[in-house]
Amino acid sequence: MAGRSTARSFPFRSAHMDLVEAEGVSKRFGGIVALSDARFRARAGEVHALLGENGAGKSTFIQILAGVTRHDTGRILVDGADYAPTDPDGALARGIAAVFQELSLVPDLSVAENIWFRREPRTRLRTVRAERLRNDTEQLFQRYDFPSVDPDREVKRLSLAERQVVEVAKGLSKNPRILILDEATSALPQREAEWLLSLCRRVAEEGRLVVFISHRMGEVRRVADRLTVFRNGRTVGTHAANEISDDEIVTEMIGRHLDRLYPERHNTTTDRVALQVRDYKSGNRLKGVSFDLREGEVLGVGGLQGHGQRELFQALFGAARSSGSLVLWGKETEINSPRRALRGPSGVALVPEDRRGQGLLLTKSVRENLTLSVIRRFSRGGLLQGKREAMLVNEMVDFLRIKAATPEQPAGTLSGGNQQKVIFGKMLLTEARILLLYDPTRGVDVATKGEIFGLMRDLGAKGYAILFYSSDLNELVHVADRVMVLRDGRIAAMLVEGQISEESILRTAVLDAAA
Amino acid sequence: MTEISKTSPSDRATAQVERLRRIALDRAPFLVACLMLGLIVAIYGTYQTGVFTLDELNLNTTAAMTLILAATGQTIVLLRGGIDLSIGGMISLGTVIAATRFGDEPASALLWSLLILLLGLVVGVVNGMLITALRLQPFLVTLATWSILNGAAMMILPTDGGSLPGWWLGFGYLTVFGLSSTVWMLIALLLYWWWFTRTRMGIAIRATGSNERSAFLSGVSIGKINAATYGLSGLFAAAAALYLTTQTGAGSPTIGRDYILPSVAAAVIGGVSLFGGRGHLAGTVIGALVLTLIGNLVFILRISSYWQPVASGVILLVAVLASALAEKAARAHAQ
Amino acid sequence: MSSFLSRNRLILLAYAGMIVLLAVTAFFSPGFLSASNLRSTVVLAAFVGIVALGQTFVIIGGGIDLSVPWVLNTAAVMMTLMAGGGDAPLLWVLPLVLLGGASIGLLNGIGVAIFGVPPIIMTLAVNVILQGLILVYTGGSPTPSAPTLIKFLSVGRIGPIPVIALIWLLLTAAATILLSKSAFGRHLYALGTSVTVAEYSGVPVSRTAILTYVLSGSTAALAGMLLAGYSGQAYLGMGDAYLFTSVAAVAIGGASILGGSGHYLGTIAGALVLTILTGLLPALNLSNGALLVVYGAIILVTVSVGSEAWGEWWRAVSARAGSDRG
Repeated sequence: MAGRSTARSFPFRSAHMDLVEAEGVSKRFGGIVALSDARFRARAGEVHALLGENGAGKSTFIQILAGVTRHDTGRILVDGADYAPTDPDGALARGIAAVFQELSLVPDLSVAENIWFRREPRTRLRTVRAERLRNDTEQLFQRYDFPSVDPDREVKRLSLAERQVVEVAKGLSKNPRILILDEATSALPQREAEWLLSLCRRVAEEGRLVVFISHRMGEVRRVADRLTVFRNGRTVGTHAANEISDDEIVTEMIGRHLDRLYPERHNTTTDRVALQVRDYKSGNRLKGVSFDLREGEVLGVGGLQGHGQRELFQALFGAARSSGSLVLWGKETEINSPRRALRGPSGVALVPEDRRGQGLLLTKSVRENLTLSVIRRFSRGGLLQGKREAMLVNEMVDFLRIKAATPEQPAGTLSGGNQQKVIFGKMLLTEARILLLYDPTRGVDVATKGEIFGLMRDLGAKGYAILFYSSDLNELVHVADRVMVLRDGRIAAMLVEGQISEESILRTAVLDAAA
Repeated sequence: MTEISKTSPSDRATAQVERLRRIALDRAPFLVACLMLGLIVAIYGTYQTGVFTLDELNLNTTAAMTLILAATGQTIVLLRGGIDLSIGGMISLGTVIAATRFGDEPASALLWSLLILLLGLVVGVVNGMLITALRLQPFLVTLATWSILNGAAMMILPTDGGSLPGWWLGFGYLTVFGLSSTVWMLIALLLYWWWFTRTRMGIAIRATGSNERSAFLSGVSIGKINAATYGLSGLFAAAAALYLTTQTGAGSPTIGRDYILPSVAAAVIGGVSLFGGRGHLAGTVIGALVLTLIGNLVFILRISSYWQPVASGVILLVAVLASALAEKAARAHAQ
Repeated sequence: MSSFLSRNRLILLAYAGMIVLLAVTAFFSPGFLSASNLRSTVVLAAFVGIVALGQTFVIIGGGIDLSVPWVLNTAAVMMTLMAGGGDAPLLWVLPLVLLGGASIGLLNGIGVAIFGVPPIIMTLAVNVILQGLILVYTGGSPTPSAPTLIKFLSVGRIGPIPVIALIWLLLTAAATILLSKSAFGRHLYALGTSVTVAEYSGVPVSRTAILTYVLSGSTAALAGMLLAGYSGQAYLGMGDAYLFTSVAAVAIGGASILGGSGHYLGTIAGALVLTILTGLLPALNLSNGALLVVYGAIILVTVSVGSEAWGEWWRAVSARAGSDRG
């Protein structure tokens, strides 16, 4: 490569053979700016990695490239011609195919049927040529040395990893000039991840462009020719992979954050163990964790998405099966349902990941949502005591400063921040003093974020024990007393005061031993 | 996490056993239906002579054919993940139109037959469009159109009656090469099914029933799928009506009701999933035969014919429980 | 109460529709508003309303009960057989038959909530099994005539008011309390709105679902006994019409078939609409067939009114208008 580029030199060098050129691309979802002024250039024959924290805008950008969403402003050129597809078929017409994390496979179709879905080879009778379908699949598998998957097997019978492999095959079968892979390795075990990396190189050597998103730095190092870093919806820079150090990349990814959001830190942890977890496993992502959560403590859970955080929270709340030992306030307990988790003063309450799908009855009023978990408490002789309920609801609305016209307003019509406050209120009305907060500030406005953090500290002071996951590292750094970093379903590090920084968390989370 | 790796030769034998187990679990509901049919035929055979003759085959398929036709349409809708209650209305309407309009001229009968089939198709497409455009539940939409079609049938012919030409009535009993025309129809139907499920449309319908979101993400037009699915269901209901008139020789504004829920039951007994995406016409045909033969069995065993509904209900429950358990086992197996 | 109505616009619409229908009927058939005619309309509507009570609960919870017709028939037959025409046995026959209906509901509920059988299949199977069993049991022969007390309950009057109207009123009060003023009601709406959210909120999901089927079995049994009193005796097939009308009444009353919304007060309007229509059509010289056509059209129209497709369409139009202005 001609010319030396460092992290600080102007990153966009003009090149005539650019296959994709994007300038000033922006996208808003409702009030949230997902992408503002993204710039991107990539050539045929390279593997181009996109890097950035969760929510930095890289996913939105490739969705635009793949024709899944449309950009608001900016200009994209493919092969020097304007590019603005309205759907994935339109993107494919220009030679672009994407493999997303949200799987597009149909469970009841076979592997081969899924790969060639809607593009099946047909006989003169217009029926699908099953034999050819199978042969084409096997040829495709052979050509790129795929891990063996039975082409006749139904997709619903495949493991998550196998599905991911089939998804890649589906993308490749379209014979695209630009192949986009969105964290395609995150669901794969070591050996298959290796395979996928070498596949990326192969595809690039065939003269195609591979756009590759990964959170694993080691992988990016091994496979990418160049990389583009995203931060807060903007592109920070594009670099040749061999000319930038890990440290420089991490610095570019993090940038500077506003710190004024956060309450003053004061550790209220006591000696009393609220929740003791030993060798705790769930599903195939949480592979065994042991830790103590203390009264008054805010214990942060960090790591990249998909490394067992979700499973940990689900299992502790009884919404997923688990094995291992669980001691609540000194008493060995088995939690096999959310109903059991919420029971009594030694219970566990959750602010769930999916606010709309798990947390709130969107069509029901704020009042009904707040008291749903504890409605029996207002029952006297079978009749609900409306006045007592209303009083408590009003208190909670005032306490949390929930902005609703009346408590009768449907919860679905509130802003994201206020919806989240309703879920907090619902949780606080239960007697549970162990709180599981799964990414409680996602999609929440800045002011409410501040209020939520303040509340967390107050609750800590009152003797609640809080387990807190956030996809925003900055929050963990400023709010948590300790941070437990998960990698591949295990605790990679337990960071205590003085060790907690974005760099330390990110480094533990991304830098796998192999890298 | 399950490792995907190339199997060594020593693993191959166990892999083969695994494969068979998986297939057995996958087909469990269908196998249970076959078992039930086998059992019924076996009992039938011990108590009655001449069960395993062509005549008996012809007779039984003739008795079951209306239900088979109705259930064919229902199977397509169930594969899509929907349900079609309106076929009851369409069958009634079809029979009364036939019984009042056919006349004696073969040409007129033929023309009206085609019109009835066309009507079924159109009614079905309208069902599909209403479901898509208004985002309504298939259950309610087809309940409403059932009522409308049934009402229309009653307006044309308030009570059972009308007449059909004599030559029309014998249709189901014509024999060609020892097999009745009904058996030939059944063979044609299975061939059609073999063809249809292998077309892109057939696959897309199954895919949409399996997971609408995935199908949509893969570029399937849901509106088109709905129109095709319910259109076919209406078409088969009309065909069932025409076949029914060759048996009854009359029109009936209420007879369609007897086919709504049995058509669903036949499909479910045959292993078609109510949640969409899974099932095959062969299963539905076996389900329909089971439901029909139960009547014969009750007759031969000289027990009260009132046991027939009890038996069909129990069979239905056994079938769904079998598929629920198989699904559970398969899921545990996949873990 | 105003908040209740603002959140249940569809129920208001159902009543508005009913009043319009009443006016139209009165116009075409002036005798319709006579006391005796209104009385008989209310009596007929009460049967639909009572069956539809349980159906309302089941549908709000996200299920459906197709076993209604033969639970109704069975109850009617068992009641007349066990009472043997006498009033005295009713003391134990009435509770026993109600309990029987409840147990059938329990069976339905367990199949649906515990074994995961789709409600359509579970209740359908139970329906045909009941049909067979009762046919076997009675041999299809006619049953003794209904006891006088039951006749009094279904066709008798206290002053100008039919007894069954009072029963209906009582049941309405009970249903309203259950839906609006009890923990069970809250759990039920939560269950029907989102099983996941309900589960994550600690709602006893299975128990709540099972109870709705128990209730539906009970009301179908009650309606069966009263209907036997109305006809003077029990005959098989008397329940056939009530599958369609009970579901239709709930749908016209503004409940979503997907669950989570609706109220028994709406179902009452639905039951009245369906019954008034049967009175209107003879006045217009229309046949039973036309009645069914109108039923179907009314269901389509009312459920379309509640469809979210309109809301989206409206939002899209107003958004476009807004952006044009902006």
